[in-house]
Amino acid sequence: MKVDSVLLLGMYESMLRIRQFENKAIELFAAQKVPGFVHLYIGEEAIAVGVCACLGDRDYITSTHRGHGHLIAKGGRLDLMMAELYGRASGYCHGKGGSMHIADANLGILGANGIVGAGMPIAGGAAFACRYRDTDAVAVAFFGDGASNRGTFHESLNLASTFKLPAVFVCENNLYGISNRQSHHMNVTDVSDRAGAYGIPGVTVDGNDVVAVYEAASEAVARARRGDGPTLLEYKTWRQRGHFEGDPGTYKDPAEQKAWIARDPLPRLEKQLQDFGFADAAAIRALHDKVDAEIAAAVRFAEESRLPGAGDLLSDVYAA
Amino acid sequence: MNEVAVGIIANPASGRDIRRLVAHGTVFDNQEKVSIVRRILLACEAAGVARIVYMPDYYRIVEMAREGMRSDVAFGVRLEPVPQVLTGLPQDTETAARWMADKGLGCIVTLGGDGTNRLIAKVCGDTPILPVSTGTNNVFPEMVEGTIAGLAAGVVARGETLDDALYRSKCLTIVKNGRTVDQALVDAVVLDCHFIGAKALWETTGLRRVVVTRGEPHNIGFASIVGCLSPITPHEPRGAWIDLLPDGTNLCAPIAPGLVLPVGVSDVHSLALGEAVAIEAPPCIVALDGEREVEFARGDVGFIRLEASGPWVVDVRRALAGAVRRGFFCDPVRLRRLAAA
Repeated sequence: MKVDSVLLLGMYESMLRIRQFENKAIELFAAQKVPGFVHLYIGEEAIAVGVCACLGDRDYITSTHRGHGHLIAKGGRLDLMMAELYGRASGYCHGKGGSMHIADANLGILGANGIVGAGMPIAGGAAFACRYRDTDAVAVAFFGDGASNRGTFHESLNLASTFKLPAVFVCENNLYGISNRQSHHMNVTDVSDRAGAYGIPGVTVDGNDVVAVYEAASEAVARARRGDGPTLLEYKTWRQRGHFEGDPGTYKDPAEQKAWIARDPLPRLEKQLQDFGFADAAAIRALHDKVDAEIAAAVRFAEESRLPGAGDLLSDVYAA
Repeated sequence: MNEVAVGIIANPASGRDIRRLVAHGTVFDNQEKVSIVRRILLACEAAGVARIVYMPDYYRIVEMAREGMRSDVAFGVRLEPVPQVLTGLPQDTETAARWMADKGLGCIVTLGGDGTNRLIAKVCGDTPILPVSTGTNNVFPEMVEGTIAGLAAGVVARGETLDDALYRSKCLTIVKNGRTVDQALVDAVVLDCHFIGAKALWETTGLRRVVVTRGEPHNIGFASIVGCLSPITPHEPRGAWIDLLPDGTNLCAPIAPGLVLPVGVSDVHSLALGEAVAIEAPPCIVALDGEREVEFARGDVGFIRLEASGPWVVDVRRALAGAVRRGFFCDPVRLRRLAAA
């Protein structure tokens, strides 16, 4: 499998966009400009980017409460996302959903989701629709290690495997469900072991290496497009921030945190780009400047947008 | 006789890689490793092993093996974890193996694939290893039943077999910019690619050169390319190398589980012990025993050298045949002890 410089630089830029978007979210949250909760994806960017690099607009994803990375990697607009974080009427959900409900059906983003494990059955339904409509599109469900204990995980894998649906189940195993260490809530250490129960392939891959993520996802997506059925991909990774912004994360071992930060996927890829002559320091700097400008424009857009008015209260809601 | 001790290193991460998706690799879950280890423990006890030292791991393979034994049967072997801080990384395996070698254990039983044994071989010194296959593309470790592995480890650790129970394996040393950076037990493959990525190899495109310590037609993986042309046994004092030709095919070989693929190859070149093959035209990656491991950037220079200094390996059949000749299985003391248990 050939990973060329164009692909790699594109993945680096996308990872950087996620990182800088969230660094800005930290700053804005601290300044109390962003209401509600934000759950940050910092340290896990390689997974969203490596997986979404295998997808097109016609393919679907379902995301999680920690969804900024998935949305940006799938092509979500920074200005509409930032406006949603600000709760402005110009945001993706017109300011009513916040960080955990962003969706963009035109891009195949079937939504972030505040309910743990709720994206998997939605992705299963989308995969069924792809098959029913006889397209070669696929549906990818992102979820965490904690969500793999939920009934939705088992039901979704069971039906997807039984119907050989074009689905890919992507477990981002960051070793914690909120503050609960994985070993405290399940008796297996590799979530991929659970694939065997449904007769589908399950593999475990380094989630902090974007090339490794991409290679595994490419094969799983190709398998789904061929009509050979779903795959369970488990990417081992680490959430560098707390469960939500403001959570000090005191339940984590500082030495383990330090070791994982040393494996941060972004500097790791940057070093590879430079070592192999794909980009020099000036090119990397230029990408940083470009992304920083995009983030600044997104913030400006959000801050210049109006808040929803009283007249918007009953629109875009299911019950009134 | 000093207290007889055996080591166990069971890699909880083996059998998980991308070859389950891109090929048809064995699904080897950790519960099965627990079951194998349980049989090894019981057989070691029957062989008279007093103490077993094991690598702790996040799945608790050895502890679960012990906990799952019948509660009405006494288990008389002392179990001790290696005192190490777990990282969840391959270095856990190296740390455990180094500790076991330093403490002079009689034998180390390893559960994993070629990759696991490669890590152990780098640090185990003269301590013999008994590799039990639980990985994917396994040439170095054999499929051996846990009870038989436990008995063989026991007779080797107790010295109740003959000298031919062990053989010294060959290895390939990877030298980069004048420094030894790694080694392989079976094969080193030079690849036209930049990234280690998902590590495993399953494609024939981009292969430049295959260097082997051994290769037989019943092997799986890249050693089989040599094995299907000009076999070399583990015991011969030589290796071989072969260039892959991008155009044309003149050989098919089982390069991954379920993948018998056509490849174009040059003649097989014999490699004497101590002889080296250059790593040409970087950037490239060198895969060791089936996994992409060493990056060569533009300007790096290096070579792959065949050496006779691999680990001592237990030949299970010979070890047990030697034990038969020494009367191990008819020893009245052992028979009385087993009958009493």
